[in-house]
Amino acid sequence: MTDLSDVSSRGVRDDKWIPTSCALCYGSCSILAHRVDDVVVKIEGNPDSAIGKGRLCGKGVSGIMTHYDPNRLTVPLRRTNPKKGLDEDPRWEEIGWEEALDEIAAQLRRIREDDPRKLIVQRTTTVTASRVPMLTFTAAFGTPNLSMAGGGLHCGNGAHLLSGLMHASWSIVPDFEHCNYAIYFGASKGHGAGHASGSNMKLAADARARGMKMVVVDPMCNFAAAKATEWVPLRVGTDGALALAMCHVMVRELGVYDAPYLQAKTNAPYLIGPDKRYVRDAATGKPTVWDLKAGAARPFGDVDAADMALDGEYDVGGVCARPAFALLREHLAKHTPEWGEKITTVPAANIRRLAREFVQEARIGSTIVVDGVTLPYRPVAAIAFRGSQGHMNSVYNFFAIDLLNQLVGAADVVGACLGFNPASNGYPGTGRLAYMPYPDDDGLMIAGTWMGYHKPYPVAEPRLPQKPGLQDFFVMGLNSPYLDSDDREALWDKFELPYRPEAMLNFGANLLMSIGNRESVARGLAEYKFMVSIDLFETETTRFADIVLPDCGHLQTLDSRSNYPFIFSLPGGMGEWCWPIRQPVLPPEGQQRRFQDVLLELSDRLGIRADMNAAYNAAMNLEGPYRLQGDHRYSYEEICDAELKCNFGPERGLEWFKEHGVLKWPKKPEEVYWRPFADVRVPIYWEFLVPVFEKMDAIGAPRGIKLPPEYYEPLPDFLPCLSHCCQKPGFDFYAFYYRDVLHTNSFTLENPWLDEAAQLDPFSYTIAINATTGRKNGLTDGARIWVENEKGRKVAGRVHLTEAIHPEGLGVAACAGHWGDGMPIAKGKGVFFNELLELDWDHSSPINLNLDLCAKVRVTLAEENAK
Amino acid sequence: MRWGMVIDLKRCIACYGCQLSCKAENGTPPGVFFARLLKHEEGQFPTVRQLFLPVLCNHCEEPPCVEVCPTGASFKTEDGIVDIDPDMCVGCRSCMMACPYGNRYFNDKPQHYFPDGPTPYEERRTARHQTDVVMKCNFCRDRLAVGKEPACVANCPAVARYFGDLDDPNSEVSRLIKDRGGFPLHPELGTKPSVYYLPA
Repeated sequence: MTDLSDVSSRGVRDDKWIPTSCALCYGSCSILAHRVDDVVVKIEGNPDSAIGKGRLCGKGVSGIMTHYDPNRLTVPLRRTNPKKGLDEDPRWEEIGWEEALDEIAAQLRRIREDDPRKLIVQRTTTVTASRVPMLTFTAAFGTPNLSMAGGGLHCGNGAHLLSGLMHASWSIVPDFEHCNYAIYFGASKGHGAGHASGSNMKLAADARARGMKMVVVDPMCNFAAAKATEWVPLRVGTDGALALAMCHVMVRELGVYDAPYLQAKTNAPYLIGPDKRYVRDAATGKPTVWDLKAGAARPFGDVDAADMALDGEYDVGGVCARPAFALLREHLAKHTPEWGEKITTVPAANIRRLAREFVQEARIGSTIVVDGVTLPYRPVAAIAFRGSQGHMNSVYNFFAIDLLNQLVGAADVVGACLGFNPASNGYPGTGRLAYMPYPDDDGLMIAGTWMGYHKPYPVAEPRLPQKPGLQDFFVMGLNSPYLDSDDREALWDKFELPYRPEAMLNFGANLLMSIGNRESVARGLAEYKFMVSIDLFETETTRFADIVLPDCGHLQTLDSRSNYPFIFSLPGGMGEWCWPIRQPVLPPEGQQRRFQDVLLELSDRLGIRADMNAAYNAAMNLEGPYRLQGDHRYSYEEICDAELKCNFGPERGLEWFKEHGVLKWPKKPEEVYWRPFADVRVPIYWEFLVPVFEKMDAIGAPRGIKLPPEYYEPLPDFLPCLSHCCQKPGFDFYAFYYRDVLHTNSFTLENPWLDEAAQLDPFSYTIAINATTGRKNGLTDGARIWVENEKGRKVAGRVHLTEAIHPEGLGVAACAGHWGDGMPIAKGKGVFFNELLELDWDHSSPINLNLDLCAKVRVTLAEENAK
Repeated sequence: MRWGMVIDLKRCIACYGCQLSCKAENGTPPGVFFARLLKHEEGQFPTVRQLFLPVLCNHCEEPPCVEVCPTGASFKTEDGIVDIDPDMCVGCRSCMMACPYGNRYFNDKPQHYFPDGPTPYEERRTARHQTDVVMKCNFCRDRLAVGKEPACVANCPAVARYFGDLDDPNSEVSRLIKDRGGFPLHPELGTKPSVYYLPA
């Protein structure tokens, strides 16, 4: 019954545990694959790694069934039906690799000679390590258009912007080891999803066992809320209003905040003029503060933090100037708990209590010794992620929540809200991988490292867009809905976009499911003149491709950096730095090929290998003898080997890592709790939004683009979603979706073990509605219902009546509801929530392009129930 | 010596890691879960609680399933594990009726997860299970034999499962039960389970 019986009496030739990396979600935990005679018989966590520490979630151990799925693609395919559409059969024919690559190269060469920007490259977020190979090909080809499909639009245009601006990292998490009071707003870190999800499950459980109080603000009581000491149900999408009301109590009613922190580590003391801009020093151009000792406005760098005024009104050369904090204090006046209650439904008394608990537990002014280093101690954290930021008001929701941390100094110090590893002293053996947040001329923080696009700060200059996603105009944006929106052509016309996308190179993204309603996305997809899809399965999106290439899965491929950069999914807090790799455990099946090799091969055929090498040098920061030279045709193994040796020394190349799997070294307190050691400030007043808006408006207004200025004010406010403004009779529910512990995006629905578990779970494949509300609407548990948005788009599913959801909420798990035949296990399972999302200007955040992910809906019994 | 397990409901987050790592370890056929997860809701909005209960064979000290087995296929080892010898099982399913916890399964026919046929993994793992016999958790006896904990214990990402000797008052499991008020499921049935739970 065990591994032992596998190796007995069969004349075993091979029995190995091979260290590699999971890719069932972007957490990329370190795994050991047990291979016996060419068959993987078990996947376990790798106890030698800090990523997962030898334990895996249900998805990770089930990776075996994804690998051995007989529905995997194994041969290149070519479309013979020229028509593309949701109901069109591509009529595939099998072709050889030579033919496939020849055709792709010919098409890409034509496009590149014409205008390389016409190529859209797209990748899934599930495979973290795909970033560098896809990025290098994109750069070498010469197109600025790399998209993550639904990634960003759903999960992080707000979360990553704010985490980057305020914590120099991709995301935030409580310092589980020391935090005593965490308040989560629509987040589940430590409870089944999010960055470092596997590792965080143990850290969160340790914190719970230690007695950390956990308050979870969420329309639904599952995952984090189910384990919380207190669940605070609220109206969908109003998290920012609750946070603002808590800030009101802290600043205006209790008058408790960390003044020394605000003076030294934020722009709270910077003087602001009537034009909402910094009052700058005439000689140096630096923002000024009011020096209480000197009784004068002086450049911030010339004044001791303790002497900087946080309140008051000052005459600076005839200009009435006030510290940013004074403006915040005034701004918060309207955000009373009673105001908050009306918007969120959370009783005002509870809002006051939560604010009081938060400031009391913050222990403002205290210090603690960690590993011999005395550090500020603020054992509270306000954490936000997908739920609270998946709205029109994405930026302000997250901004308001992080203000809770900033007001008490609970930012990247012991026990506080931590960015994931924003500061590293580097690998001790070589000094490589060192980075630290650093200040710009205004003293504001620039992240030490980042991934993809531009850093969140400093903000780029808005310009007439050269990207069809318009991100070079919407400079606070990350991923864009305008590659696929209904009104994209009209917007491109208005913005005089000098070209139109013509071809798409897709790696693993199923954008027909991951963005919004499928009709809108399908319309956009069908317009590409040429599309290549590199994929594991024939997804709904891949059915729109002209050529399909069968990829290798996570047990068949190689990545020198399966979990890098450290700001993404290495656990935060003390512990170890850890660099794992992914290596092949099994050979390709049929004609499967690694996408990394395919991209190298294509670059040779296109004659851009030198550009590809240069892009790899840049993306991996290869130095000295490890820099790739000229147009030499390196194998992907050689590139991985160069990166590893460059980072860790000549003795630690690919062969060393294949044997050992991971390299790790201890974190230092000065790295984890870096904030006191970096001379940087973060903005509690976003002064830079004022010129950003002016510049955008100057470009947009003459072209009939009207931007709502209220989204660009320097201080956060509650701005309602469209769903909050819906007055249509019968549309009583706020529909939202959430991440299920059993599923990653739309990908794992095809895994039969995970599907089986999800079928037995009361929530995974159902539509959760409050039991009392449901009964009032004539619903019975298990009934089949239609959920319809204001525009008439609708999805069907089984209702699950539950007490664990806000009376106005309607919750759907995961990105489910596949309809294609290429993933037959997934087909028809769960509910395709995204069908309810409109894709247009009105439903996109006018500042960071986040899609509005809540929809006001009507619920009706499906016809079959009437029988 | 009596092997036992303690499951800390405070730490458990219902991630299904136990259910799926068990499946991966044992290659159980569709519908068979030596370890599984139950969810239950209590209270009324907004004072509602979600309760998560991971269950498995309780390896009772006085197992009714062993008592009723007509062939001696169901047996208890010296170290307290309740197991089944498939060669002696005639598939009468008396034990399934006798088990008050519903943790035994009948493997009526060869099954696999994809209609296309068994995967290479299933040919290795699932095909080993005899058909027409009853099957259940055996605390991963073969892992124990090589010094490893049961798969669900070793894998639990929230570290909510503990394994050890219930006869040793100083073992981690005995101390956890004593210090934190560990309880078995349905003690009133008198089966004396070896799986205990710590309150949430």
